[in-house]
Amino acid sequence: MNFWLAVFRQLGRNLRQTWTSQLMTLITVSLSVLIFSFFYLIYCNMLSAGGRLGNDLRLIVYLEEEPGPEMQEQLRRRITDFERVEKIRFISPEQALDLFAGQLGQNRDLLTDVPSDFLPPSMEVTPLKNLRGLHQVSLLADFLDTLPGTIKVQYGQEWVERFYAFTRLLSIIVLLSGTLLVLTATFMVSYTIRLTILGREDEIELLRLVGATNGYIRTPFLLEGVLQGCMGSALGLGSLYLLFQWTLNHFSGPSILNIFSLTFLSLPILAIIIGTAMALCGIASHISMRRALRI
Amino acid sequence: MTETTAPATLPMTMVEMIKVAKDYPPKVTALSDISLSIPRGEFLFLIGMSGAGKTTLLKLIAAMEQPTRGLIEVAGCDITKLKGRSLALQRRRIGMAYQDFKLLTEQTVAYNIAIAMEVAYRKPQEIHTTVRDLLEQLQLADKHDTPAGELSRGEQQRVTLARAVANDPELLLIDEPTGNLDTTTTVRVMELLRRRHTAGATLIIATHDPAIYQGSPHRTLELHRGRLHTLNPGTDPQIGKGEQA
Ligand SMILES: Nc1ncnc2c1ncn2[C@@H]1O[C@H](COP(=O)(O)OP(=O)(O)OP(=O)(O)O)[C@@H](O)[C@H]1O
Ligand SMILES: [Mg+2]
Repeated sequence: MNFWLAVFRQLGRNLRQTWTSQLMTLITVSLSVLIFSFFYLIYCNMLSAGGRLGNDLRLIVYLEEEPGPEMQEQLRRRITDFERVEKIRFISPEQALDLFAGQLGQNRDLLTDVPSDFLPPSMEVTPLKNLRGLHQVSLLADFLDTLPGTIKVQYGQEWVERFYAFTRLLSIIVLLSGTLLVLTATFMVSYTIRLTILGREDEIELLRLVGATNGYIRTPFLLEGVLQGCMGSALGLGSLYLLFQWTLNHFSGPSILNIFSLTFLSLPILAIIIGTAMALCGIASHISMRRALRI
Repeated sequence: MTETTAPATLPMTMVEMIKVAKDYPPKVTALSDISLSIPRGEFLFLIGMSGAGKTTLLKLIAAMEQPTRGLIEVAGCDITKLKGRSLALQRRRIGMAYQDFKLLTEQTVAYNIAIAMEVAYRKPQEIHTTVRDLLEQLQLADKHDTPAGELSRGEQQRVTLARAVANDPELLLIDEPTGNLDTTTTVRVMELLRRRHTAGATLIIATHDPAIYQGSPHRTLELHRGRLHTLNPGTDPQIGKGEQA
């Protein structure tokens, strides 16, 4: 108990003596957490938006003639051998006409004189609802094109490719900003702690002489790092939340953002980010102690 | 030269040095062939010319320096083998007033004294009263919150002394306690040290101030060119009157 009392007193002194550089470190840590979590938040929302849009994503394969049950089975097998898909549905010309009529609504009278095989038979392939599924769509489309009896494959090709490219870019940005976070946080924290240690070299020397244990000397510095990580990341995530709320309030109403129906990072993710930052800063202070205190 | 008889019974012996030598590279021989046994509760003067090796001897006992040769046992522990936690614990049992003071000039006088008690996890209230009491005894009561760097040398000398005794150590190593003090203050300082001695502490005082060792009943050893000579064998009735006696 007395150990912790002494340690916290020491920590308080450290913070008071070098508060300017402490503040700089805090700002740096929180900025890098903010940058990282900003991109990560966008990435997460893109993923879930992609999932939601992917619900409507289907490949329509127009066929020369309506396949019999045996042929259907064979087509199914060939497609699933190539790529796992969510669903395959065969649509006869009659069903297609019904669907079309349903879409016309009140104007369905237009179709009264149309022959029942006016529309070609088709096959509807729904890809798996994940990012890989999305990426595979164009490959799948190319494959479907090679199947016997295919006239044409139709899907929102450009949209899918753009979305995929964007999401992949975003994941790279997330990785980069994550690396940035790790580097800046560890560098800044170990730098300030080095500064603190150098500023207190005489005192540390004296502490050793009057019989302070290594734990007594090191724990305050370790806590200082962990505290920097905790406060910095909490501050960064807090500002991200404010930014998020501000965006919601200013862009609500009928706009593109509604499709995305934004959500903030979940609690476990927040905890993981804070925990990682604390661990990193703790390690950083340990490293600088190893150097400066010649442990 | 070996003064040691049979292996000393440990609890009664505070410091045991056998054939200790200390060289400072490249070629200073500060101490050579020192054998010395200090019973618990002794009051010992160590005198000698400047550069004779007094400070070096005290530093060896305090485990601030390692001997080049020989064996040093303090309170039964071979100090050359102590490391980490046990070294820290050993140092808490020793209080040293440094010749160069080793004060934190930007910290208050109170903190400079309290630091020795804080590392031993003394209670804040206890630290507070002890510090006040010591400052009172050394006529520094009004300097409690003054940065140590703003004090005169005589005042700094007393602060370093206060820090040495603050944690109630069993062994006190006092290097040059009165160098910058007037007669009255010297008397006060010596009174404080004598009270510690009466309370059971073992004292070693290195000095070249004849005023404090001449005519005293205590054993007085002289260092000359790194060797030890007995100047006054002492008629000290206090020897052996330690806590464990
Ligand atoms: N760290 C060191 N490195 C090299 N030589 C040293 C060191 N410390 C002391 N010496 C040398 O060892 C010898 C003894 O020094 P020491 O400080 O023990 O003398 P002293 O008796 O305390 O002198 P004074 O009365 O002036 O304090 C001196 O010649 C000194 O120059
Ligand atoms: Mg000296």
